[in-house]
Amino acid sequence: MNRRFFTAASLALALAAGFAGEAEAQAPTTTLRIFTGGQQRPDVMRQILDVYMQRNPGVRVDVEVGGATSEQQQQYLNTVLASRDPTLDVVLIDVIRPAQYAAAQWAEPLDAFLGAERDAVMARYLPAYREANIVNGRVIALPYFADAQFLFFRRDLLEKHGIQPPRTWDQLREAAKTVMQRENNPNLAGFLTAGAPIEGTVCTYMVPMWGAGGNLTNAQGQLQLNTPAARRPFDLWAQMRAENVTPPNIAEIVTDRARQNFQAGNAVFNMNWAFNWQRFQGDADSQVRDRVGVIPLPGFTPDSAATCIGGWQLAITAFSRNKQAAYNLIRFLSSPEVSKMQAILASHMPVFAEVYTDPDVLRANPWFAQALPVVQTARSRPVTPAYPQVSEIIRTNMNAFLAGTRTADQALQDMTTRLTPLMAIR
Amino acid sequence: MTMPRFNKTAVLWIAALVVAVNGFFPALWILFTSFKTETELMRVPITIFPTAPTFENYIRVFTDQPIHLFLWNSFMVATLSTLLCVTVSALAAYALVRLRMPSPGLILTTLLAITMFPLISLMVPLFQVMRSLELLNTWWALILPYAVLSMPVCTMVLVSFFQDIPAELENAAMIDGCSRIGALWHVVIPLTAPGVFTAGILAFVNAWDEFLLALTLAPRVSARTVPVGITLYQGEFAFPWPIISAALVIAIVPISILIAVFQERVVGGLTQGGMKG
Amino acid sequence: MSATPVVRHRLTKLERAEQRLGWALLAPAFLLLVGVVLYPVVELINQSFRFNQLTMPWMGTPFIGFDNYTKALGDPRFWHATLNTLIFIIVTVPGAVIVGLGLALLANKPFTVKWPVRLGLLLPWALPLVFAGLIFRWFFEYNVGLVNAVIKMFGGQPLTWLSDPTLAMIGIFVAIIWKTSSFVALVLLAGLQTIPKSLYEAAEVDGASSWQQFWEITLPMLRPAIVVALIFRTITAIQTFDIPYAMTNGGPGDATETLAMYIHKNTIDFLDIGYGSALAVLMFVVSALVTAVYLRHTQRNPARVAT
Repeated sequence: MNRRFFTAASLALALAAGFAGEAEAQAPTTTLRIFTGGQQRPDVMRQILDVYMQRNPGVRVDVEVGGATSEQQQQYLNTVLASRDPTLDVVLIDVIRPAQYAAAQWAEPLDAFLGAERDAVMARYLPAYREANIVNGRVIALPYFADAQFLFFRRDLLEKHGIQPPRTWDQLREAAKTVMQRENNPNLAGFLTAGAPIEGTVCTYMVPMWGAGGNLTNAQGQLQLNTPAARRPFDLWAQMRAENVTPPNIAEIVTDRARQNFQAGNAVFNMNWAFNWQRFQGDADSQVRDRVGVIPLPGFTPDSAATCIGGWQLAITAFSRNKQAAYNLIRFLSSPEVSKMQAILASHMPVFAEVYTDPDVLRANPWFAQALPVVQTARSRPVTPAYPQVSEIIRTNMNAFLAGTRTADQALQDMTTRLTPLMAIR
Repeated sequence: MTMPRFNKTAVLWIAALVVAVNGFFPALWILFTSFKTETELMRVPITIFPTAPTFENYIRVFTDQPIHLFLWNSFMVATLSTLLCVTVSALAAYALVRLRMPSPGLILTTLLAITMFPLISLMVPLFQVMRSLELLNTWWALILPYAVLSMPVCTMVLVSFFQDIPAELENAAMIDGCSRIGALWHVVIPLTAPGVFTAGILAFVNAWDEFLLALTLAPRVSARTVPVGITLYQGEFAFPWPIISAALVIAIVPISILIAVFQERVVGGLTQGGMKG
Repeated sequence: MSATPVVRHRLTKLERAEQRLGWALLAPAFLLLVGVVLYPVVELINQSFRFNQLTMPWMGTPFIGFDNYTKALGDPRFWHATLNTLIFIIVTVPGAVIVGLGLALLANKPFTVKWPVRLGLLLPWALPLVFAGLIFRWFFEYNVGLVNAVIKMFGGQPLTWLSDPTLAMIGIFVAIIWKTSSFVALVLLAGLQTIPKSLYEAAEVDGASSWQQFWEITLPMLRPAIVVALIFRTITAIQTFDIPYAMTNGGPGDATETLAMYIHKNTIDFLDIGYGSALAVLMFVVSALVTAVYLRHTQRNPARVAT
């Protein structure tokens, strides 16, 4: 299924690019180097770059693949960029990073390159991605693909027990408990998501907080951790654990472990990122193929749902020696055409609203039709140059709470003490 | 011994079994795991032997990440740092044992005291030194610190070996017209070959195993070593344990062959050189 | 006679030449140490008195006196990481020595086929620490880990090894002791083989039991080797990083975070070079204390401390 689309799409693109077997003999004049993470489908990026190189015979683009987690990629880029290494021209960065890149002066601002069409170009992107990439009025990066957290559920099990897909956390808990009780399978967990001390766990805290109408800071940038909403995530996860909806080892589950367990048929619900779909439907040994449903995350009321925004951006490093060529490349990589290619080849969510309704895209990803409103309303994790510290503080406390080593009061206290000085950095 | 004779063989067997199982078990376990599919791995109850063995993981190891490059980097970094370390330590050890240096004990102590500083705490300045020398993400960023990492071990092993070579042998060679260096090369080095070899293997394994400095000073694919390469297989969106297992097996095999081939030299070297005093 | 002064004179000349050669042979070692250790140490101390955030280049690197140190001393995370590091030293060093002694005694039996035992000791020694961490992380996995599978086989409830602070520490202890005890065993095995057989033969004539022989002969004769093993293990234990990094990444919360991990986090993740340097200097103080103990031992008998 996937392979067929893959081949068909490559073929179509190859034809569109106008190469029918004749190899260009011209020697490349510019070599660009682009960094991507192991999780952002470097294989697909290479396909796309082949098209680009066909159209631009004077340019060669090499791909460098780094660590698989957002933190690992950033650790690596920290060492490369702190050493002002000029060999990377373009880096693919997580949606949470542009502020840090702007502050550290690692990314070349793109306003000068965009020139007069700056506002027109930026206006075409989904609003969340337009905002994420403009820091203090300057365009720091261009979006490559979008991502968000969704609720994946076992459609077969819910149908079997006559349960509607949940729209609130209460419905979700009841549904999970009912299915677990009736299935009577000790290996079946009710609900899985990331709980280990990793980046994804920041969302495990933020999602219910937003769902309760809260936010980490108010419009003036002041911490809002003394509000009832800031406490809701702790109450929710504590209740889920007490009722055995989440498994005892929730605090050691990383994003992909949740995916693996769900894919092995060992969970009813799974709050996870868009890439899951491709694995559930595409993997040869998937135990849940055609038995999965995907819906927006629940809220505390049916209309209060919120989700965490993800996705990856293309930045030109300040140390690149081929900035104009790099700019030309990222304009191509951040185009509706490439968004469509990625959607078909990798199930990557487009950063342009119109691509979601493209018939070819919908054929490969029928659920994208419902995904668009989710991405349009998805929320951003805190935007700050000190994001690495902010993230570490939130995820460590969430993880400690899930592990039962810190109470909600202790966690909130620690977060307040340590986040307050960081929030002063603007 | 007060033990009855028939029990002695049993004791031998149990002793051998305990030591061997303790040593081999984890490696065997990942060997089995490396032939399982992800679904089989997630199955409850767990299986010990793969029910439907697959080579897919081994193929994925080479296609997902350039592990051959990691192996090459590790090999070159370990080899070059070992050569550097053994050469530098041998010269120093020889000077301390043979050439009438003022208070060799103090020099040796100073040398060791300096190398005793945890290199890990020097992570930051080393990062900056390598950055200003433009050596970050090159083999040299690791070769130099690794040579220092193994210097105390190598120097001590070689000092104790050199002490065992009768000075008369060298004097005889020098009377025959050899220079000091000539005597070192023709008489002392061949006699201490086991010691040099032991020191070399220890340095090699130390360099092969190091993780933190490699993660900090050379994480780039072009210079990435095996421990870093494999650890970076696990990700936020992927913990592909069967593939990691296959990668571990591939990484463990060369070093296992090395120690299996030279096991007598290693243990023998440790026995002879290590504890002499 | 005039021969004696001449001889003495020639000896001193030779001595001087030899000393010159000696310094020349020592030079590469010292050069390497200056470049890789001494200069970085000076630089580390310099940075520890500065504000240096690589993510805020516009702030420059102003001198801020002891601010980083004051911050560290008031940072509960630092104290917790220090405490964890000390716990790892206190538990895993003697642990590895005891297990290593056991393995060495077993490996010292008169086997006819020696390689399985020898390789059994060499393999964990040659395995990178971080690999041991990865493997044990999987052993302690909740759903499909070997340890919980065994517990379930005997009818017990599976344990959350990596998300319970106490259990996570225990899991890490097990991994570290497994990985490092084989090195200790190799050192102690070498020590065991230097004990003259005649001692045991004499003891047997006197009718001493195996137990008595162990306490009266083996242990006292092995003492120097045990001290060596203890010291080397301690020095590596101060730097504990790889195994907790691979197994828990410091979690749950910061329950298993060590000093080396906290330094790495501050410098490489947060790019706070100033604060990271101050933490490193403090770690340095801890290891200097251990080194001092070590030096007191070596100065008494320098050549004894090998491998």
